[in-house]
Amino acid sequence: MIYIIDHQDSFTWNIVHQFSKFNKVICSNYFEINNKLLEKCDVIVFSPGPGSPKDYPLSSKIYKKYKGKKKIIGICLGYQMILYNEGGKIIQQKRIYHGFQSKIKINGQSKIFKNNKQFKVGRYHSLKLMEPFKSNTIKITMRCSKTKIPMGLEDNTNKIYGFQFHPESFLTENGDILIKKILSA
Amino acid sequence: MKEHNQHKLSFNPYLEKLYQSDKPLIIYKVIDGYNIYTDFSKKILLNNKNINGFLKSFEKKKYKKETDLYLGFFGYEILCNLIGISIKNKKRLNFYKGIFYKPETIIKIRKDIKIISNIKNHKFNKQFNKTKILSPFKINIPYQKYKKIFDLFSKKIRQGETYQIKICTKYKNKSLINPINFFWKLMRVNSSPESFMIKDKDYSIVSCSPETLIDKKKNSIITKPIAGTLKKNSSINKLIALNYFKNNEKETKEHNMIVDMERSDLSKICKPGSVKIIKKKYVAEYKHLFHYVTSIGGMLNQKTQLIEIIKAMMPGGSVIGCPKIRTLELLNNQEKESRNIFTGSFGYIKFNQDMKFNIIIRSILNYRNKSEISAASGVVLDSTSKKEFNENYIKAKSLLELFK
Repeated sequence: MIYIIDHQDSFTWNIVHQFSKFNKVICSNYFEINNKLLEKCDVIVFSPGPGSPKDYPLSSKIYKKYKGKKKIIGICLGYQMILYNEGGKIIQQKRIYHGFQSKIKINGQSKIFKNNKQFKVGRYHSLKLMEPFKSNTIKITMRCSKTKIPMGLEDNTNKIYGFQFHPESFLTENGDILIKKILSA
Repeated sequence: MKEHNQHKLSFNPYLEKLYQSDKPLIIYKVIDGYNIYTDFSKKILLNNKNINGFLKSFEKKKYKKETDLYLGFFGYEILCNLIGISIKNKKRLNFYKGIFYKPETIIKIRKDIKIISNIKNHKFNKQFNKTKILSPFKINIPYQKYKKIFDLFSKKIRQGETYQIKICTKYKNKSLINPINFFWKLMRVNSSPESFMIKDKDYSIVSCSPETLIDKKKNSIITKPIAGTLKKNSSINKLIALNYFKNNEKETKEHNMIVDMERSDLSKICKPGSVKIIKKKYVAEYKHLFHYVTSIGGMLNQKTQLIEIIKAMMPGGSVIGCPKIRTLELLNNQEKESRNIFTGSFGYIKFNQDMKFNIIIRSILNYRNKSEISAASGVVLDSTSKKEFNENYIKAKSLLELFK
């Protein structure tokens, strides 16, 4: 079972439907968590949403509690939330990407996806990870082909995965395959 | 049920009598003509308490004949309240939050005029509605103020608080209008697919809305969001407009965002895997402008209640911004005047629970001898306050011209 924590985004239900293709999905607002079901699920997904990770202490608490115990997936804000809780700094970028389709490239750090593969994705983000970012377990595995902005992360020890882009967007090529691969990783 | 068939005459005595009477009536654009609804046997004034019951009442109703439906509108405020957003400290007209009517007579204007009625004797009380303009139009947010809000929202976009947000400006004057004249005049120049008119004793609405928000038949539901507007001139045709939208990064991004947002809204109430883009990014042509449109459809979950559909889809995302909840909160903090009907929805619910609703834009609301025309355009980071301020004017133009 997959538990999707919604940060009141207007894209969350695309994610719900996308994940429903692979497993049973539960979705609730971040301030209305059903703790019993959360405890029971195998995967926790942190949804996109407005604002920045520091605005959602409740979600950060859940992240810390279940890190290493359940598979965790973050999308957009959810991805930033993982990095934020791992000591990363989330900052405003000069150029803003909302409804933007761009090419990204997978690098050699990925254990799941093929090195050097490029594909088009849909982006909705004002903020990004400040670099350099250091972590023993989290690897940045995808970057924007043009600007090199970090676009994906993997922590294969703790089974934590994240995308800065939106795999559920109609702008993303083969988004379903991405999700399938991290769910079976 | 009595049916009279009459040939279309340049002068139809029944219609003329109706137009010049004090009877409330609704005119609604349909694909091949217009429907006029009148002889209302019920009129429901909506509020936060009765809206649920009103929508629930359809579950017990049976659809037997064409007059088995309610037509009317949901105002912006009641739709916000439904999804848990309260609106405070607004300058208000105290206009109705929503009204629905049950008609007993439908007049179908096609090649011929056909009257369907449950009433035997049609009586008319003569009343002439004269148009009188008592003061010139004024805009409620002048450019300087608009720029300030625009800059504030630009900052909010950089902070990731909202991805896109639509500021509403209003043109207002003091006037009495003859809504039927206004409507037919408007239809000559701009008969957009979701046009409608309501004339009641104390208010009227004249609209050439182009946007379909909900088209529900049995378990199928379709929405057709518009995002992207291009002003027309003699050198632009549909193909040139399409190329403009395709090559314009700002319009493309704005549109993409609305498509993903509407997919998500539909997904809340539809079967997983059933939500699909039916027709992607096409151009619709109107008198003063071109619109960039996408059709998206899905199959509703079993036993989805009408109220769930309304809450998932309204207020329509394309006229608010994204993400909906946070953006509505930001908007309601900045807009000092109630939107009234603007960005609400007009349409019908049949007794078999089929329904169709538009987004109320490009509309005149006349109430208590005041007319207001609202328009909204989007703050995204690649646009400028000047351009968006002017876009609001372009959108209001064909309505403002009716007063000339």
